Amino acid sequence: MNENTLKDLWKSYNEKLELSLSYGRKNAEDITQMKVQNFISSMKPVKIFTILVGLLWVGILGTAVTNLFIHAFSEANHFFLFSAAIQVTLTAIALVIYIYQLVLIYQVDISEPILETQEKLIKLKSSSLLVARILLLQLPVWTTFYWNDSMLANGNIFLLITQGKVTLTFTFVAVWLFFNIKIENKDKKWFRFLFGASEWQPVISSMNLINQMGEFKNG
Amino acid sequence: MINEKNLRQQFQEIIEKHKGILFKVAHIYCRDDEDRQDLIQEIKIQIWRSLHKYNDKYKMTTWLYRISLNVAISFYRKNAGKKANTIPLDEQISRISEVDNSYKEHQLQLLDQFINELNDFDKALMLLYLEEKSHAEIADILGISVSNVSTKAGRIKNKLKKRFSNES
Repeated sequence: MNENTLKDLWKSYNEKLELSLSYGRKNAEDITQMKVQNFISSMKPVKIFTILVGLLWVGILGTAVTNLFIHAFSEANHFFLFSAAIQVTLTAIALVIYIYQLVLIYQVDISEPILETQEKLIKLKSSSLLVARILLLQLPVWTTFYWNDSMLANGNIFLLITQGKVTLTFTFVAVWLFFNIKIENKDKKWFRFLFGASEWQPVISSMNLINQMGEFKNG
Repeated sequence: MINEKNLRQQFQEIIEKHKGILFKVAHIYCRDDEDRQDLIQEIKIQIWRSLHKYNDKYKMTTWLYRISLNVAISFYRKNAGKKANTIPLDEQISRISEVDNSYKEHQLQLLDQFINELNDFDKALMLLYLEEKSHAEIADILGISVSNVSTKAGRIKNKLKKRFSNES
């Protein structure tokens, strides 16, 4: 088959397929009425919901913990207080990074050349892993917030050892995940298991695009 | 207010005049009708979002291909594993080629299959090549050198020839 025959084939292919596809759901006029030119209105509802829940959590828990620190530090259970403070701080950091990433993704100029734009998008999407790493760091404090002085002084030694083992395990897992959740490990089984959920698919797919991009760039 | 009105009118004219680009990109990247409609919609939204930033040092088609292909590649990755390839090839082709003779139908099917097997970036290159864009414009759209475009286009053409000669 020569080049011209191929291009003729392509033309006829498109003409026929065009007939089979009704053109768009909304017409151009409807789109100009949509408020897509600002950050918030361009976001998907699920992302807005995630941010709102995060803000509520950090706002309520943050206020409560701060009040306890200021007004009732001596009477409060210190295990709860420090566990909650660590939890809310890590959540706040993750939330700020998440919002910052969304803003950066929104600001990417999609009319730049394909490779350049895709590279930026992949880097930004992959950095969502940082949010997961930070959130996972709070694992140990979920095993310490209910401790209290009397439990340590009078508790059953067997239960205390078990409790200690659980906390140490959670700490080890959290630190290990913090250092090992990275693009280089994207093909490892544990990584696939951890990020197998559908909401992580865009991130994982973006990472898979890296190899394709490298090959394409280098000829 | 006048600017906003002009922008709206300009947008509508662009979409009307160049809808073929949107359609072809959607066709190459999505196998599923529903996904195609969604992708075309998303491309239109991104064109509207970017229109005020349009720089006329670029050809309008170059600008539109960049947006369409960038959205398509991101969209395709987003939907990969969800609904990709939900419509079998032969079913899709038969829907559009009922009146065609079987030889042409077979050729179309081969072309479709070939494009579908390419990776995201080669698909973009293939589309631009079939649309008879110059190597310089392809390089500008993709962001690679002209010599790289020539090498890659040559390779794809050879593969394509091989495929058609094996099957005919």
